[in-house]
Amino acid sequence: MSKVIVVTSGKGGVGKTTSSAAISAGLASRGHRTVVIDFDVGLRNLDMIMGCERRVVFDFINVIQGDAKLNQALIRDRRLDNLYVLPTSQTRDKDALTQEGVEKVLNELREEFDYIICDSPAGIERGAQLAMYYADEAVVVTNPEVSSVRDSDRMLGLLSSKTARAERGEEDQIKSHLLLTRFDPKRSGDGEMMSVEDVLEILAIPLLGVIPESPAVLRASNVGVPVILNEKSRAATAYEEAVARLDGEDLPMKIEGEKVPGLMSRLFGRSA
Amino acid sequence: MQTDVASGNIDGVGTTLKPFQFRGRFLTALALRLSTAPDARFYEMLADRLEKTPNFFTDAPVIIDLEQSQAEVTPEALTELVADLRRRELAVFGVQGGDEALRAAAAGLGLISVTGGRDAPLRGALPSSEQKRPSRVFQERPPMPEAQPAPAPEPEPAPIPQRVAPENKIVTMPVRSGQTVIADKGDLTVVGPVSSGAELFAAGNIHVYGRMRGRAFAGIDGDENARIFCQSLDAELLAIAGLYRTSDSLGADVRHKMVQIYLEDERLIVAPFG
Repeated sequence: MSKVIVVTSGKGGVGKTTSSAAISAGLASRGHRTVVIDFDVGLRNLDMIMGCERRVVFDFINVIQGDAKLNQALIRDRRLDNLYVLPTSQTRDKDALTQEGVEKVLNELREEFDYIICDSPAGIERGAQLAMYYADEAVVVTNPEVSSVRDSDRMLGLLSSKTARAERGEEDQIKSHLLLTRFDPKRSGDGEMMSVEDVLEILAIPLLGVIPESPAVLRASNVGVPVILNEKSRAATAYEEAVARLDGEDLPMKIEGEKVPGLMSRLFGRSA
Repeated sequence: MQTDVASGNIDGVGTTLKPFQFRGRFLTALALRLSTAPDARFYEMLADRLEKTPNFFTDAPVIIDLEQSQAEVTPEALTELVADLRRRELAVFGVQGGDEALRAAAAGLGLISVTGGRDAPLRGALPSSEQKRPSRVFQERPPMPEAQPAPAPEPEPAPIPQRVAPENKIVTMPVRSGQTVIADKGDLTVVGPVSSGAELFAAGNIHVYGRMRGRAFAGIDGDENARIFCQSLDAELLAIAGLYRTSDSLGADVRHKMVQIYLEDERLIVAPFG
């Protein structure tokens, strides 16, 4: 059974694309056939983070509009041979995305891939809505800071109302996970940033992982390698663990400078 | 909810049955307030309005309020208006205000002249010629999936047509930022957190079992007895029957406490439990 996972946040700059790249690379290195799609039409970034920007010929929009076949647009990653990137167009805008087109492409991808990761644009407009519409699960990327938390809360509201699963009203609603990124244990301890517990208390969804703020993330972006595949770093380890949890493993949560939020996440795991 | 003003049967059981009783009875009527003489545009808008919620208006008792427009409305215009409303199955039974000539015309149409009574609060969505009390703000109701009856019935007396059972609503999921939950005919209970930027509306009471960070509007149809109950108060705004307080005005002594909020002498009281 293939899974469509949307990586979303509402707010920009919190680490959606970085996380999409890391998650898809992590799933692929665990042996799953994985594709990551850039839904941020007009602000093409994923291909750069994945280091395949020089190999883009056709894109997602070309496929939707029937100008290219899906296989022509998919770019195979040079490091992992079961990882593919579906880049987006830099010249078009989000109106080029259609619901039918997105559905058709996703259905085609479902036949070939175990995991389909949708890298959502920021905001709550068309691009973000279509990125989440057909999702089975959601990774909500949040920074420990009030505006990011509020925007994530808004996205959770949309995930539970404006998606195919919500509209069909099935038992089986979208499973949402929280990925807390750019976390600085020291600043959180000093009260400058929100604590993991504060964020969980507001968002009330299970915690997938906490990614520490790390210069390794920026270095990885600069060289176009997903964090998880670049140098060994705390951020890379945290992403690996988050991916393992997304893949169904039950790993204990370790967060520097924080009380173990095991109880909290278990509590909210049930209510969300 | 009929209020017995005088019960004819104070002697208790076993006495002879009296052939009649006088009882006080309140009923709710719609007042159609004219700001000017009815013209073609008026009839067009009226037809439009009535079509949206036909059931609400069928056989509804109606008073025509002429207080603001008696100078402009002629007896002929009134006759025409009454005929039009009756054609639309509104039970017009009285006029309010109006000069000598208008009242005479009304009597000729079988309408009584009504004095007294008081208006139910007017919602923001309606074109308001009436000055709102400064302390009150009636939040415009968010658009509803189905059409809504417009004029709020008077708050205290009984609604006449039939007694409608309240339609309470229970939400067992977190109410997220940007979401709106409406219980327009009863109480609203949320079991779970309500986030900042979320809105709750209820004709009756609102209960929140979880951290309450959003906005709550209880008694949206003007019920001043409605209350809000929060397990942990951290709300942005609390309102009952249009009277509101924002989080600025909530002291530290009630924040994060289990509280109830109610109206007392036109003031919104936030009272912690225990």
